[in-house]
Amino acid sequence: MMLRVQGLAKRFGGLVAVSDLDFEVTEGEIFAIIGPNGAGKTTTLNMISGLLTPSAGRIELAGRDITHANSAERCHAGLGRAFQVVQPFPEMTVEENVMVGALYGAPGTSNAVARRRAADALERSGLDALRDVPAEELTLLQEKRLEIARALATAPRVLLLDEVMAGLRPAEARLAVGLVREVRDQGVTVVFIEHVMPVVRDLADRVLVMDYGRPLALGSYAEVTADARVIEAYLGRDDEEDEA
Amino acid sequence: MRRALPDVLWTLALAIVAALAPTLLKAGFDQASVSYLSLASNAMSLGILALSWDLLARTGQLSLAHAAFYGAGAYAAAVLANATGVPIVLALPLGGLVAGLLALGLGSVTLRLKGIYFAIATLAFTEVLKAVVQELPTGLAGGAAGLNVPPLFRPHFVPGQMQRWEIAFQRNEAYFYVYAALLVLTIAVSIVVQRTRLRAAFTAVRTNEAVAAVMGVRPARAKLLAFVLSSALVGMLGALEAMRLGSVIPDGTFAISTTVFALVTPIFGGLYTTLGPILGAGVLSAVEETLKRTFAEGYLIGYGVVLVASILFMPRGLVGLATRLRRRRGGSGTPAAGDAEGPA
Repeated sequence: MMLRVQGLAKRFGGLVAVSDLDFEVTEGEIFAIIGPNGAGKTTTLNMISGLLTPSAGRIELAGRDITHANSAERCHAGLGRAFQVVQPFPEMTVEENVMVGALYGAPGTSNAVARRRAADALERSGLDALRDVPAEELTLLQEKRLEIARALATAPRVLLLDEVMAGLRPAEARLAVGLVREVRDQGVTVVFIEHVMPVVRDLADRVLVMDYGRPLALGSYAEVTADARVIEAYLGRDDEEDEA
Repeated sequence: MRRALPDVLWTLALAIVAALAPTLLKAGFDQASVSYLSLASNAMSLGILALSWDLLARTGQLSLAHAAFYGAGAYAAAVLANATGVPIVLALPLGGLVAGLLALGLGSVTLRLKGIYFAIATLAFTEVLKAVVQELPTGLAGGAAGLNVPPLFRPHFVPGQMQRWEIAFQRNEAYFYVYAALLVLTIAVSIVVQRTRLRAAFTAVRTNEAVAAVMGVRPARAKLLAFVLSSALVGMLGALEAMRLGSVIPDGTFAISTTVFALVTPIFGGLYTTLGPILGAGVLSAVEETLKRTFAEGYLIGYGVVLVASILFMPRGLVGLATRLRRRRGGSGTPAAGDAEGPA
């Protein structure tokens, strides 16, 4: 099992954002987390990536307990992540940005290996031609690519993507879907949050649907979209709409 | 490391100039060369002070404790010389060691503080260390009156073959070489930081510590390394200055002005670079000396005006100004984002 989440919960004061969350992601899988706004998707991802400390529960990465590991330790254990809000290092060039992840992402990486890994990440994310451009001069789309390239350069075993398709045009989203598949084909497990349903349909091996901080359904895209509870969570019940 | 060649070349060039300077000065200026050598040592001292401070600044931490580590090195040299019989030359590495260890301790507890909080903690540390040194047994550290420090060099006067001013020349020449050696060491450390993976870590931590950590950099470790390197170098400088000046005294050795010069010079010359603090030290030393000779009284006012004007009009210091001028002359400069955008 590549990623295992057990009894995960997060409370903010009296508000329960996530509770009783259990799921497992196998190696090489593309795993989607969907749900209405406020369902606790991003909170879940933030707990996995270490931005938030869980109120209860346990997170394992490749059999190792990372519930209380800090950001750098999680990265060294093989967790890569691309932020929803892009945050490049503005003073560095595109290549220098990616080199940070390549040099420090996996302990014991030599300069030569890091340079190769950075070149590979740049090429795969289509940033080859921009390698010497200062990151502060990138467009939003280019920044999103840089976000993914930096995560790839850390040589992750599990890649967390938080709504990276948001704001992309359909053609760009198709390219991004291809990129994610390619990454998976090289053995990387992918966990992503997405609102764009065609992207979820095209990419996800399995889909976890969350609602009110709890797991609502888990299965293939066809299974969960046929689930009456999921339809209800997204669209509301007929009688509710009548009342409204 | 391929790109390191120009750095090595200009450091080597600087070292050669330094090696020849005393002989050339003596040939050209006779007796006046004595004070020129002393001025050159002062300028190099400012360069070491500024460049060592910049090392920590590269990780985004603003230290106001540079005077404390300078003082710690100076006092280590003084106590060593007065309390033991070991050769005084050992005071240099000892000053660096004491300052480095103090930085390790202080950094372990304060480097998690950010921005202004770290700055204030380091400022407080300077005052505390000064007070502690004053309260140490007088037999050990001399209390408020301080201690005398034996010189690193004793000139050999040969009557009949030497003129009297050549005693001072011999002494200043010897110190000049030690300052030059310490400056080259500081530049070498700075170049290593700039040309290895440390630069990526330091810059990433400075610009966005949280993101740096997500990408595997250990921010606490990077900052602590920078702090120890920065402090050990200025500790050696403190030890050297104590020997050249001949005494240490709490109010002077731990003077806050040392910290002020340490941070003003890189800001003037160009932060986060090797060249900036060195260039800044050279130019500021020359400006200060010229003003001193022109207006015996109140030259500090002129000095202040130069600093304020330069910070207003050269936000990235001398190095930034040079880059801007070169870009303007060379036309477009760096490729604009639009040029390289291409089809998505």
